[in-house]
Amino acid sequence: MAEPERILVLTQVNGNEHDMASTTRTTSAARPPAAAASAAAKRAKSAGGAGTRGRTSGTPRAARRTRVSASGHDSPAAKAAARSDGADTTLGTASRNVDGKAIAITVFSTVKWPGRVWLPAVFFVGSHIPTPFARTLSRLSFIHFARWTLVREMPDNGQQDESLHYPHLYFESNFNGGWQEYIDAFSHILTTGMKIFWGTSYGFPQPLPTGPFKVYIQRNEIPASHFHSAYPQATTTMILSGLELQEKLERFDEVSADLSDEAFAECWRDLLTDVQGLL
Amino acid sequence: MSNTSGQAYAFLSMTPIKAGEDVRLRAYIEGLARTRPFDRLRRTHFARLVILPDWVNDPSQPKADHLTSQYLIFSATFDGPRDSYLDELGKRLAPEAKEIWGRCVGCPPSARGAPLKRYLLHNQIDIGFFVAAYPDATVETVKRVLAQRKQLADFAVRTQGLEASELRHAYQQEF
Repeated sequence: MAEPERILVLTQVNGNEHDMASTTRTTSAARPPAAAASAAAKRAKSAGGAGTRGRTSGTPRAARRTRVSASGHDSPAAKAAARSDGADTTLGTASRNVDGKAIAITVFSTVKWPGRVWLPAVFFVGSHIPTPFARTLSRLSFIHFARWTLVREMPDNGQQDESLHYPHLYFESNFNGGWQEYIDAFSHILTTGMKIFWGTSYGFPQPLPTGPFKVYIQRNEIPASHFHSAYPQATTTMILSGLELQEKLERFDEVSADLSDEAFAECWRDLLTDVQGLL
Repeated sequence: MSNTSGQAYAFLSMTPIKAGEDVRLRAYIEGLARTRPFDRLRRTHFARLVILPDWVNDPSQPKADHLTSQYLIFSATFDGPRDSYLDELGKRLAPEAKEIWGRCVGCPPSARGAPLKRYLLHNQIDIGFFVAAYPDATVETVKRVLAQRKQLADFAVRTQGLEASELRHAYQQEF
């Protein structure tokens, strides 16, 4: 009697194959990022839309211009850089930050003196001890790879002196979904982690509410001139599902090898029921 | 320092761009989307080239930091050891490397092979904290499981309603 339901489920599974931009993973114990993003987007909207991004807003470019002028470095090159960000996409970022479904974000921030000690300690702990932050980060299944580091000095190539007053925090992420949703999820799910990483940066406004935090990230983001993904049409969820599916399929092959045809078919149906969330 | 997570390596270099070369360099790099040269480096999961015009200064800073040169940031996440990856880069990316790092201060004139590798290593910035969603999966593995996932979904739909013996035969033929 359960067969018709299975057929319906499998048809639905196939239909979902073409809707693979999901940023959530059903096995995640964390609050689903999409849900958080949706809620955050509503809050941001009700708060006056301070976090909007794109040509219609003007906020990020205005912010970048303000930053350049404030630094007294409104050079022709800087202007050229600002002009050639590339058209903003429906994903909420410059087109050159995008390769298929993959998005690049590259952010610099200037670090206060306590960060010289604090951030290396954070990096060490994060790299060597399983922390709630690292676990949650790994469960945010729209992030392929992310990295942080401190730039304390520039390598010497015989160029003019590049002595720095401050270390600068470099952050990059390779993710899928949308820029807005990414920042929303970071702010809502990794609130403490954001404070830990950016709390010693000048101008950091706290992760919540998300509006000012988005403006901060926009001001500090450097657009890529070229971004490459080896599998541009794959989301992190698709890859993690594929890896899990591979393990289950290997087990299925082992278990089903010596079964009768009828038992094989039953085992196959059980497998499909088990893995339908991965397809 | 944490340049690795599982088998994945996170490389980052920052090289000063020669005066007056930034516009041509930017135009060249922006054109790479058409040719996708990093496809030739099959261990590359993700790569980016970013031109940093100046440090981002916040108005609350007591002093501002400024770069005297613009910098080219090269970031790549790839499979396995760094040295062999840079060896491959020096060979397989040689035509592009001359146009990219050849416009940077201190790059050897040939901009390829071992001299380019030494140059990139000299300008490497170690990573503090590196996280990976699938640290033990190579590019090859990722592509394989993605193809397998699609194949299985297609097969499941295609074989609905088959008799048990037909299903088994079809499965053995497919996988």
